[in-house]
This record gives sequence, structure tokens and C-alpha cells, in this order.
Amino acid sequence: MTARLRNQQPGNRREAANDIMVNDEVRTMRHQGRIVTNHGRQLAGRVALLAGCAALFGLAGMPDVALAQESASAPTAYRDIPYIGSRNLVWIIAQLHLLLAGFVLGVPIFAWLCEIVGWKSGDKRYDKLAKEFTKLLTSSYATTALFGGILLFMLIGFYPKLMTYLTDIFFPSFLVYCALFLVETATLYLYWYGWDAMAEGNGKKFHIFLGFLLNVFAFFIMIVPNSWATFQASPVVLAEGSDFARAWAATWNPTWWPVNVHRLIANVVLGGYICGAYAGIRYLSAKSQEERYHYDWMGYVGNFIGVFGLLPLPFAGYWLMREIYQYNQQMGITLMGGFLSWLFILQAMLIGVLFLGSNYYFWLGITHRIPGSETQYRKPIMAMLIILLLCLAVWMTPHSLVASLAEAQQMGGTHHPLLGVFGVMSAKMTVANLMVLVTFMSFIMYWRAGKQDTAGWAKVAKAVIGAVLALAGIAVIVLGVWGYFVPAIIRINYFSTSQVGIVIFVMLTITPLTALLLKSAKTTTEMVWGKMPPRAGYALVLNAVMVILLMTLMGYARSSSRVHWHVYGVMRDSSQYAFSPALGYAATLMALNTFLFCMLVAFIFWVATMGDKAKATAGVKGPVEPGRIPAMAGGAQSLDGAAIDSPEANRPV
Amino acid sequence: MSEVVKLQLIGLCVIGFGTVLLLFVKAQFARVIGFVSIVLGLFALVALAVPQMASLPPAEESINIAEIKTPTDMATIGQKIFFSKGQCALCHSIGPSESARCPDLKGIGSKLSREFIFESLTEPQAYIYLDYRHEGIPKEYPARMPHINKNPIALSKNEILSVIAFLQQMSGEPVSVNPSELDLPRATPAPVKAADAGALAMAQAR
Amino acid sequence: MKGVLVRPIFLTVFIYLFLKFIVPNLPHSAPLPSSLIFLYLMLTTAGIVIFATLSGASKDAFFGPMLRFLTGESGGAFGGARYLVLALFPLLVGWQTYGSTASSDAPPAENRTIHPAPPGEYTGLSNPVPKTPDNIMYGKGLYASRCSPCHGNFDGKGFAAPGFTPPPANFKDPTTIAMLQESFLFWRIKKGGVGLPVEGMPWKSAMPRWELELSDEDIWKVIMGEYDGAGQKPRTWDESE
Repeated sequence: MTARLRNQQPGNRREAANDIMVNDEVRTMRHQGRIVTNHGRQLAGRVALLAGCAALFGLAGMPDVALAQESASAPTAYRDIPYIGSRNLVWIIAQLHLLLAGFVLGVPIFAWLCEIVGWKSGDKRYDKLAKEFTKLLTSSYATTALFGGILLFMLIGFYPKLMTYLTDIFFPSFLVYCALFLVETATLYLYWYGWDAMAEGNGKKFHIFLGFLLNVFAFFIMIVPNSWATFQASPVVLAEGSDFARAWAATWNPTWWPVNVHRLIANVVLGGYICGAYAGIRYLSAKSQEERYHYDWMGYVGNFIGVFGLLPLPFAGYWLMREIYQYNQQMGITLMGGFLSWLFILQAMLIGVLFLGSNYYFWLGITHRIPGSETQYRKPIMAMLIILLLCLAVWMTPHSLVASLAEAQQMGGTHHPLLGVFGVMSAKMTVANLMVLVTFMSFIMYWRAGKQDTAGWAKVAKAVIGAVLALAGIAVIVLGVWGYFVPAIIRINYFSTSQVGIVIFVMLTITPLTALLLKSAKTTTEMVWGKMPPRAGYALVLNAVMVILLMTLMGYARSSSRVHWHVYGVMRDSSQYAFSPALGYAATLMALNTFLFCMLVAFIFWVATMGDKAKATAGVKGPVEPGRIPAMAGGAQSLDGAAIDSPEANRPV
Repeated sequence: MSEVVKLQLIGLCVIGFGTVLLLFVKAQFARVIGFVSIVLGLFALVALAVPQMASLPPAEESINIAEIKTPTDMATIGQKIFFSKGQCALCHSIGPSESARCPDLKGIGSKLSREFIFESLTEPQAYIYLDYRHEGIPKEYPARMPHINKNPIALSKNEILSVIAFLQQMSGEPVSVNPSELDLPRATPAPVKAADAGALAMAQAR
Repeated sequence: MKGVLVRPIFLTVFIYLFLKFIVPNLPHSAPLPSSLIFLYLMLTTAGIVIFATLSGASKDAFFGPMLRFLTGESGGAFGGARYLVLALFPLLVGWQTYGSTASSDAPPAENRTIHPAPPGEYTGLSNPVPKTPDNIMYGKGLYASRCSPCHGNFDGKGFAAPGFTPPPANFKDPTTIAMLQESFLFWRIKKGGVGLPVEGMPWKSAMPRWELELSDEDIWKVIMGEYDGAGQKPRTWDESE
């Protein structure tokens, strides 16, 4: 492969010299006698978060390549490997690295929030939960860096030209990245090993401050590589200047901040749902009542934090999309109405399952944790379910339908004359807002379940809550329908933002109102932990899988939106992998990546909790005998036959 | 067997594997793996059920100078250069835009002479406005414009002339650049040195 | 016991009938493609299962009869029906498999992207022709002579339209030109159907390559006339326009 590509280049060169103007749909760029061809595009997108050592290798290896530009034979632009192909390999490694990175960045946020809650409320469970997850950090941190290193080797090997180009631009930020890694690592060690030493008083405060620092550094570790990846999607022209000035200009590209915000929120979601899935698996295999109690509660916390992050996520995504569309019409249309439009239907399905799964878990919580509440909440749950499903139906209705020839003729094209209106942004935005509202209502309902208001103004407050919700829903729908009759720019700038504003307003008014109400409310029914059916555990696992799949899906979307460019409009992908694979092929790889990532995380959890089990085994007396210690995420053979008390537990859900 | 059918078979096998795990294995972790397999297999099958379509990159065209007959041909080529190799559209827009960080080029072809545009592209600092909005000596606005005839963009004179033709056309002006001004290809295969081209062009432009 | 199952079945059948026979008969509607009906029915089923499994009691009430039927505990008349179901199920799978693999002369379902992304060099253009009543009128004149035979009175129903599959675009539909920038229309008019990328299936479009007949300036004028005539505004980033 390498040889073939090399041979091609002299030919290209001659051709280029013959044409007076190098046309440039295509990017054979002549830089004073050298032909810069391109580099990896799928992967390149995922260059995203190169791990620390990655950058180090970059520093050592790349400048040489850059200096070699005047050499007689054109440098190698691409390499390949047989069977799997360079793009697929980089795809898998980069995706795993990115998912691990998301996990490593999400978990500290999650752990830190839990630690604060535990510190403020004095509830030791939260502190213990935070510690349990910080323990995972050290091993997953190392794994992330490992994959980053592998990824970097691959990128240098497969896409030397692209890496040279990016190094030329981003060299200073490579240095910054290395420095950040040093401080992040140091902080992480302090945070984890200092946990027990700083458990009380001012020590705890300092520890929480350390957790804050950890998250700040982690945030910068995320946004630096984001700048490399977003530069590829939305490059800016680099004028003369110092290396630092050029890197800085390239960093501030139009989609940098939208991606930063979107990824930050998504990482919280990932951290929360993975915690939920872990709790779900432990819950399923729990043997003692305490364990069931603990992991049921942990699943609740994980799901709550996941939902908490999920609510603003569509808005961050919308902002990102808007910036992309504005940056370039071609990318915007590719994503929304063009080649990738079916990908967004798939995304709607995944998000739909995620919303349904999260709400389902809330509802299961109401009916199982609060005895006797089922009949009372059956009707509202049914109403919310129906609204969610209607919204989903709208969201999943594609603009261009899959239709046979006869069906298309009947419809007059692949747009349905009536339902086609559901296919455009105005409708999707509206139902996304409604789904967020419904999920928020689910949460409020769960929060208030089993409590009775005592305050005199409770009736008024409840009326206000009902009125605000109803008005907000109506307003969102009215704006959505009206959006069809105004110019696109008005809809984008005013209507859509108003819809988001309304939903945020609802959350900001109802949350404190409910909190006030509940302060004076008396609890009629205590929550009973550990009573959830097995399907709740599976729902948690399902949610986590959905989030991971969504991340892999959007990774593909981001890379594909650059079409045949490594760096959009600047450096063309001239490799044999310049095409965007079809959705089915991509989805198969995404499913593979998701599976590999789940296995990796399970392995990390297993390794990290091995010590606990040994300790527990040694220390166990009484109800739990050594052979019946709970299966960890890795599942011990000896436990295979262990029966679980509830007959329901063995039934697939 | 087509690739889609193969992938569908793999998806079905994964679902079958998951179902077998759920039906016959009691270990909870294995059951969860089975469940996850079913979910992932279904996801792949749904994606495979949509008619499959890969997006191919456009063919790499090369432009032959001998085929350029009219100023409109030049403008067509200039249009491509403007939006790709020249990287003009990374900063400039034609028409109003929120994302453009540099002047809007709508109508620029009728406001400025072609010589002035040429100079702006090749010597961005040559004619710049002075900033009087402060005490003392007026400061020069340093133009953020890069030298288009030098690295990293390095358009040749021919390419710059084409872009000018395109800008004039976009302003509704008659294109004043003529194909006869284009340099003919040299006999040697060495690419045009950008600096030479720039100097030459400057000489011609004046 | 069976009562619990009757309602979900009734609901599913009702939704199917509604989508199949009532929606197509609404004004300005058309029959739904089977892929869409399938999608909506899947959603309905998911909703039913979710609602049925909310509590242990409702779950047993929902799945219990099915389990008892399949395990043969129901007895009586259901015993015979059970063997029938067990025998028919493999046949159903076989029929499905045959249906999806047998060769047929029907063309495969298609997934044409109606508005594919334009090439890079058409993404940032703006209309150089001033928006004067004269220019708009001139554009409408060109529209009347060149476009209206197929696109009709901006509604996609010209006299030649019935001859084409897919039919010519309807500009009054808010999901067509109102969603697009002027430069997109410029590209489509100038390059025509053959200029579409592969996902737009250039072989399916009968749009001529107007660059062979009209100057760029005329195309811009046609665009202005088209928006004006259809009562739509182009997508733009400028609020003042």
C-alpha cells in the first residue's frame, strides 16, 4: 500500500505542474514544490483527545517530518494495513480512547458532586460512593492514556501528512497539554490517596478544593484536544505570527466552545449512567439485603445525575449544530437534510429509548419504592408516557421517507404531504423541548411521591405548578407551529431560543417551589430501598448502552460532516478511505466499539473492586458465607449457580 | 452475498447469542452481556434496514489552461479557488454573515479596481487605514489578511486573477480579466515559485 | 384474565387501522409508506410493554396469560390453539425469510436525499443582483417561460409535472425553498439534476442544467422571482432581509 501511494505521487506532481491552475475542488496543494496531500479523516476527527503521552511522542517525532518537505521524493502521505484497514483500526482505537476519556472526565465531576452532597448533608453514603468511584479513576486514567498513546502511534503511522500539518499549527498547545497532564496526574493522586487523611474538618474542605482543581484541570485537558478536532471541522485562516499566536488563532475556531460545552455536559451524563449501570449489575447479582439496599440507592443516584445532565444536552447540541450550519452550509446540510439525515433518525431513536428508559426507571421507583402508590400514580404516568411516545413519533418521522416506488408515487415523492412537516427542525425542536419537560415532571413527581403537603399555601403552589407546566407546554407548541410561517432566521434566533428559555424557566421556578413545599411536607410513606425488580437493573444498563452508542454515533456524524476533507476546505483526504461509509456499516462498527468499551469498563471495575472482595471475604461473618460474595462486574464463576431469592430475578426482562 | 446481508447475518447471530445467554445462563453478568448483545444487534439491524448509501468524494478535476476561453470560465475557476484552496471563505463571506470575521466581499468587484484587489491579496499591508480613535500619532491597523501568494496558501498569479474574475462577476460587474493574461505552462515540470509569480503579477498589474 | 390483553391488542389494531385508512383520507394527505407505519406500531408496542411492566402485579397480569398459554397451563380450547401457534410460528419465520430474500422485480425501496449538501464552492454565494421590482418581474418572466411547465404556479403542478417521478418540487411547501439559502437554489438551477451528488440520485432528477441556457445573472433573477411568487423567504443569517 505504502509503495503504491509513493509511486503515485510523482505522477501527481507532474500533472500538477502541467496544469496552470491547480484546480481545487481538490486539494493538491503546491507548497513551493512539495505536494501536500492529506491525511486521515475519520480518525482525524477523533484525534480528539489524544492522551498525554501521545502528545509527548508527537513532540519527539514530528518536527523531523516537517523539515523533510524539500526532499527529493515526496513524503509518504498515507499508510495502510491489510484486512482491517487503517481507517477502521484508527476508528476503533480513537473511539475507545474518546469514550474512556469521557468516562475519566465525567467520573470526577460525578464523584466531586457526590462528595459535596455527602459533606453538606452529612450523609456518609454519598462520601462512600464518591470514594468508590474515585478509586476507579486511577486505573481508568491509565487505560485512557494507554489508548491515547496507541492512537497517536497509529495516527503518525497512518496519516503522516495530516499529523505534520497539525503539529505545525498546534505545537505550542501540545506543550500546554503535556503540562496539564502533569498537574492533573499529581492532583488525582493527592485526591485519591489523601481521601482518608483529609476526611475531617478543614482537611475535608481542602480535599473538596482538590476535587475542584481536578475538575478544572480535567476540563482544560478536554478543551485543548477539542481545539485540534474542531479546527479540522471549522478551520480558520492562519496569518503570519509567532507559533503561539498561530496556535491560539487556530484554537479559537467557531465550533470550539459549542463542542466544549456539549462534551462537558455529555461527560456528566456518561459518568452518571455508567454509575447507574454498574449499580444495576451489582444489584442484579446482590445476595444480601444490605447490598440490594446500597446498589438500589446507587442506581438511583446514577440515574438522577444522568438525567440531570441529559436535560440541558439537547440545547447544547442545538447550539453546536447552529454554529456548524452557520460556519458552512455544506456541513450543515450534510448533517441535517443531506447524507446524514437518517443518522439523525437513528439518533432520535436512541435518545428516545434513553428518555423512555430514564422515565421508566423513575416510574418503577415510584411504584416499587413507595408502597401503595401504584394506583395513585397510574393515570399521570400513563399521560406522561403517551406524551413521550407522541413526541418520539414526531421526532422519529424522517423528512425523506424510505418508500418503495409505488408508495413514493402515491405520496408524490419521498416527502409525505402531511407528515412531511414533522421532518424539519421546527417540529424536532418542539418535541425535544416537550420531552425534556415531561422528564422533568417525572422527576418532580418522584420527588413528591409519598409526601403530604402541610403548608397552608400548598394548594395555591400546586395550582401554580400545574399552570406553569401547562402554559409552558402550550407555549412551546405554539412557537413550534408558528415557526413554520416565519423566515428561518427568525425561527432560529428567536423562536427556538424562546422555547429553550421557557423550559429552563419552568425548571428554575418549579424546582425551588417544590423544594419549599417539601420542606414543610410530612412523609406519609418512607422510601423502601432494595425492592426494585430486576428489570430496573436492566433499564439502567440499557440507558448506559444508549449513551455510549449515542457518543459513537455522533463521533461518526462529526467526522462524516467534513465529507472528503481532513481539514475542512483546506486539506483534502486523497486516501482510498475518503468516502463516508454507509450507515449500516458504520453502525456495525459503532456497536462493536460500544461492546468493547463496555467490556473494558467492566474489566476496570472488576480490577478495582477485587481488593474489596478479598477483604469482604476475609471479614465476613454471619449471613453471607464466603462462596456467596456478590459477583462483581466481572462475574465470578463460582457464583454462576447461586440462586437469587426472588423468583422474578431469574426471568429475562 | 452482499456486504449488507453479511452484516445483517452478523447482527442476527449476535442477537441469537444474546438470547441464548438470557435463556440458558444464570450468572448475572453473562445475562447482562446477553442483554447488551441483543440491544447492540438490534441497533445494527435497524441501521442496516435503511437503504444503504455511501457518500463518495467528488472526482479530483484538473484544469487545463488551454480550455479557458472566456472570462466566465476564469470566474468559474476562481469560484472554486475562493471556496477551497484560496481559503478566502474561511474569513470572508459574500453577503452578510454572523460567522465572517473579515470584511463582507459582496459587491467588492465593483467598489475596487482589479489592480487594487490584486495588491490587497499580495501585499495586504500596502494600503491600510489609520486608526485615529486615540491620542497621539494615528496607528496603522495591521491587516489580518495573509499574503495570498506566499505560504501557506500560495496561490499562483493565474489563480489570483481567476479569483478576481470571480469577485467581479459576483458583483455584477463585467469581468475585466482576460484569459490571455494567464501565464502559459512552462516547459519544466517545476511548479511556479509563488514569489516569482507574485512579482511578475505585480509588475503586470501596475 | 384475558381482559388485560384485550385492550392492548385493540389499541394496536386501532392505531394500525387509523394510520392505514384514516390518515390517507385526511385533506392533502396520502397513504403512509409501510416503513413509517411499522415505526409507529413499534412505538405503540413499546408503550404498551412499558406501561404493563410498571408494577409486579400489572406485569403478571399482562404476561401471565401469555405464559400460561404457551406452557399449556390454560388447558381446554387453548390447548389446541397452542399447538397451532407452535406450528405456525416456524412457518411465519420461514415466510418472512423467504419474503426478504426472494428475488423480485420490484425496485428496492429508496432513500433519496432530496436536498443534499451543495459542493463547497456554492455554499457562500449571495445574490449579486439588486432586489428591485424590475428584476423580480424579469425573474418571474423567465420562470413563466422556463420553469412553470413543470413547477407550475410555484406549487409543483405544472402541466408536464404528471410525467415525472419524483414530481417537481413544490415551492409553496414550507419545507422546500424556505429552508434553503439562495446559493443552494443557484447551484441546483445552474447544475441541474446531473449535478447532484450520488446520495441525491442524479439519475432520478429531470431538472435541466440551466447554465447551458441562462446566464448566472438570469439565474439569480429567477431565484428572486421564485421566492417572491411562492411567498417564501430564503434562509439567511441576516435578520434585516
